[in-house]
Amino acid sequence: MKSIARVLNRLTELPMLLAAATLFVLMVLTFADVIMRSTFSAPIEAATELTRIAMAVIVFSALPVVSGRADHIVVDLLDPLFRRAGVERILDGLITLACGVLLVWPAMRSFDLAARARSYGDLTEYLSIPVFYITWFIAFMTLVTAITMALRGLVILFKPDLLRGAND
Amino acid sequence: MIESLIGFAAVLLLVLLRMPIAFAMGIVGMVGMTYETNFVAAISLVSRLIIDTSQDYGLSVVPLFILMGLFVNKGGISRELYQVSNAFLGHFRGGLAMATIAACGGFAAICGSSLATAATMSKVVMPEMRKLGYSDELSSASIAAGGTLGILIPPSVILVIYGLLTETSIGKLFIAGIVPGILGILFYLVAVQISVYRNPAAGPAGRRFSLSEKLQALSGVWSVLLLFFLVIGGLYGALDFWPIHLTFSPTEAAGMGAMGAFLIALFRGTLSVSETLTVLKETATTTAQLFSVLIGAWIFSNFVNYAGLPEGLRDMIVSADLSPWLVMTVILLIYVALGCVFESLSMLLLTVPIFFPIVIGLGYDPVWFGIIVVVVTEISLITPPVGLNVFILKSVVGDISVGTIFKGVTPFWMMDIVRLLILVLFPWLVLFLPSQM
Repeated sequence: MKSIARVLNRLTELPMLLAAATLFVLMVLTFADVIMRSTFSAPIEAATELTRIAMAVIVFSALPVVSGRADHIVVDLLDPLFRRAGVERILDGLITLACGVLLVWPAMRSFDLAARARSYGDLTEYLSIPVFYITWFIAFMTLVTAITMALRGLVILFKPDLLRGAND
Repeated sequence: MIESLIGFAAVLLLVLLRMPIAFAMGIVGMVGMTYETNFVAAISLVSRLIIDTSQDYGLSVVPLFILMGLFVNKGGISRELYQVSNAFLGHFRGGLAMATIAACGGFAAICGSSLATAATMSKVVMPEMRKLGYSDELSSASIAAGGTLGILIPPSVILVIYGLLTETSIGKLFIAGIVPGILGILFYLVAVQISVYRNPAAGPAGRRFSLSEKLQALSGVWSVLLLFFLVIGGLYGALDFWPIHLTFSPTEAAGMGAMGAFLIALFRGTLSVSETLTVLKETATTTAQLFSVLIGAWIFSNFVNYAGLPEGLRDMIVSADLSPWLVMTVILLIYVALGCVFESLSMLLLTVPIFFPIVIGLGYDPVWFGIIVVVVTEISLITPPVGLNVFILKSVVGDISVGTIFKGVTPFWMMDIVRLLILVLFPWLVLFLPSQM
């Protein structure tokens, strides 16, 4: 069981590395764009669309990891109350499971939208990158997030000891 | 209109049941839209918002400013800022507490988060103040209060979120935050003086620094000060002269700031490859958190608008013939009350979609309202029973009671209320600088 946790931890490294690398590129790109424009009057024309793609990659690479680690912003005002009532774990599991399940529909709909963009042959302005790649990536990662959350919810409900160690 | 009130109650309930705020707002918005239109339309709207929000060019300002703050922090700037402030203010009575306020203000100028400011500064200054015999009350309160400056002095994550939610210019919001931020520092300095006046033993004076010591302390922070002036100056359009012609959009300013901070940290040799990676990952995590709440808030506000809540409330106000300042007072009181219970970002996300249309309908300026909301949020960070900064401080420092901090924070809290009143009564204090852009 321990090894499953470790494999999962390893697995989260990959999207986080992708997000980190993209963020670094975004930073250098924005810097280069300003310098090129202000000193050589030669802005990087594709900067805007590259920025947009970079943002999607950063957010949706990190999202499944954030969700899987339960790193979302929550209001923990009533925690002591729930703990005293002994419902903390059940509640946490149910809520996480519900979030995951409900996210499946938007994810599936995003796949449809990606397919539509593909059939229209939408391309980005300067670099002519097919738009559906990005939409498809978003849809795929949303689905991964949904599955991660649903699984996490189930694990909290039925196998709480599994999460020990896999948490961070 | 009644649907949106039910929706609002549902969000509150789910949030209190510990559902992530992004999902609470998103799910209620999705269900609400299904009720208003149909399931397919609602899901389509949600997916469109998910896809479009994550590719919004203007939103790239979020990760870049967070990155800038984290890189500067890695350069060890918090200690140096404190040393400079101490060199100039330390010999006064309550001097270390005043230096803490000034250093927090300086740190806020590169970091957009109040919690991060409080957490970082407490590690640096708490031991120093204890060494000099400062009372725990005064030392912890000055950090908790000083930390709140993080979200007002630009760059500020909360102002970015407000700007994005309401389509108000982020550049103008940042510039508008400068005067109220400086005012905040000055008022907190007064609060320190009030504290030591009431109890002189709480903050004994430190030693006087020689001029060369002062200059030496300054040498540590000049690069970061320069970076701040580059970022804010470029944003304000103050650097548009021969031969550099630097004017930035908020995203560009953030990009320059992040790159500059990265280079500074690199030059100082305080940044290893693995640390860079940690900073990048941390930023990506925060970005994903913030984007999820933004998407959730947008879904919810789509529903609230569709169901006509803002119009309904506006009609009510018009038909009841309430004066704008009365409505404003009620809104501010609601904020202070909510602030006792909610954390700043959640509070902003829940309230702005509802209050913003009303306030604008009454003829108030969107930039001014943004600053006022942030100032009220600052106050909520140190208001009992759940002032978040106080709890952060408690968890970082450890051997101090929440009650002690709240007791010490009272003069600061009162000065905050005075500042809020001044900003409400004299809007030009907020609006003068951005109107020059």
